[in-house]
Amino acid sequence: MTVSRRSLHGPHCPPLDPDNELIHVDCACHTYPDGSVGIHDMCFSVRRNEIVALCGPNGSGKSTLIEHLNGLLLPSPGTIWVNGRTISSGEQAGLWKEVGLVFQHTEDQLFAPTVLDDVMFGPLNLGLSPDEAKARALKALDLVGASALVNKLPNYLSGGQKRLIAIAGILAMRPMVIALDEPTSDLDPVHAAMIEQIILDLKGLHGISVVIATHDLDLAARIADRVCLVRDGSVFAEGPPREVFYDSALVREAGLEPPMTVRTWTDYCEAAGIVTDEYPLHHDELVRALRRIG
Amino acid sequence: MSSTPLSSHIPDFDLITYYAEREGTLFSRISPWTKLCFLAFLIMVITISRNVLLLAGIYLMVLLLFGAAGLPLRKLFAWYLLPVVFVISLVGILVWNEPGVPIFSLPLPGLTLTLTMSGLLLIVTLLLKALISVTFSLFFLMTTRYQHLAGMIARIFPAPLDQIFLMAYRFLFLTLAMTASLLKSVRCRGGGLLQSIRMQGRLFAGIFALVFIRSFERGERVQRAMSARGFTGSYTVCGEVPRPILAEYGVLVLMGTAVSYLAALSFLGVTV
Repeated sequence: MTVSRRSLHGPHCPPLDPDNELIHVDCACHTYPDGSVGIHDMCFSVRRNEIVALCGPNGSGKSTLIEHLNGLLLPSPGTIWVNGRTISSGEQAGLWKEVGLVFQHTEDQLFAPTVLDDVMFGPLNLGLSPDEAKARALKALDLVGASALVNKLPNYLSGGQKRLIAIAGILAMRPMVIALDEPTSDLDPVHAAMIEQIILDLKGLHGISVVIATHDLDLAARIADRVCLVRDGSVFAEGPPREVFYDSALVREAGLEPPMTVRTWTDYCEAAGIVTDEYPLHHDELVRALRRIG
Repeated sequence: MSSTPLSSHIPDFDLITYYAEREGTLFSRISPWTKLCFLAFLIMVITISRNVLLLAGIYLMVLLLFGAAGLPLRKLFAWYLLPVVFVISLVGILVWNEPGVPIFSLPLPGLTLTLTMSGLLLIVTLLLKALISVTFSLFFLMTTRYQHLAGMIARIFPAPLDQIFLMAYRFLFLTLAMTASLLKSVRCRGGGLLQSIRMQGRLFAGIFALVFIRSFERGERVQRAMSARGFTGSYTVCGEVPRPILAEYGVLVLMGTAVSYLAALSFLGVTV
């Protein structure tokens, strides 16, 4: 797989692999009431059992795209397929069952008086009985390692704990795709690592595809199977993280800086005059590469 | 959302929720319906009664209940500021020159204000009535889980009034949290509520208005987050509200009889 580039005003992009694509966005546009463009000719897809990272600077359209995946926003014009079904006006109502959304500001998501009530909110909306909803909520809290918080008040939790509860609230609904908006922003390293591991487990243990919207390229480099660079409301390049992030010009074109590991390795090789075909993406790989070259 | 209370004199809804969800005392296990009926009976009694001793007795009983439930009495006394100011602002003028035994007079240019025993009793009576209703309402809220409260509202009010009530209750949390963060930002730069009003009245008013606009925006974001989890305008009430047990029915019958008796006496012109 190599990096594929797309013109910002490119042609339609119908699903190429419908059997493997859970979500497909074809030339979706969204303009906010004040005239600002949220997304424009956006082409994007989510495949089975993958972690895809939407990387772009603030205001590039990542959050707007994520809200389209859940049916909170509808493209106009443009088309979205979810699980082989075309989503049009009026049909987006049940989309929340298939695509879960974890908001960037968890304060907006956690509204119920207790953690348990909040995590049960989604399952109850699915029509489950209170007992079933409670069982699901407890299981979800257990999966994110937050069982001890079950009777706590969301307002009294730390930012990291709130993020865990927000993820549990979505996980309890058992969607096939979970989209997380800036999942580790504002978190301390310990909680960020916890969230990172949970994202990996969602894919690895539960077979859930994950979309993360982030400008933390180090995070994307560590966990993503595929990276989509977003600029001006459109995905203009996508590919495996190793290939995308080692194309510094491409990353900078998106208004971003390559991940720290990539910059360190590139600068080191340049300074030492080393020509190598090794491309470490994260810390462990970097350490191993440095050891090898002595 | 801030977990710092807005002011020690404004009821802290997070703390109220904390006590309600903790379900730590016997009173949390009493049926919410019993407590609601008790509140209704209390309101009827304090509406009928003008007897200071009876009202003082009821107030003492309610206060004991509040303390026995392990609820924070010191916070309660701090929260009394608003009801006390409310009562005084209502009857502060009316208490003067009431007919009755004068206690003291205040000569002013052109008129003399006289505080009589009746005037004093009027303000004490109204204060007791306000404090009884505030204390028992807080007792009810602090010993009743939100899910039970939501269940009761869903039973009592028809749709969509119940939804409006439930959402408004949660919206109150947002507004208070927003106001608390505003006040925090004022305080952290050396300001205070009173200082800011005096020194930068216009600016403060502007910011205060912004709080409401931002609360609406925040409410909209919360609504979107709820929609993302399947909310379609109807809050799903989870579980049954516990019904009163036999002993609770007994207490309610006794209380109902006592209220009816007082109402009958009042109807016959006897001061109760």
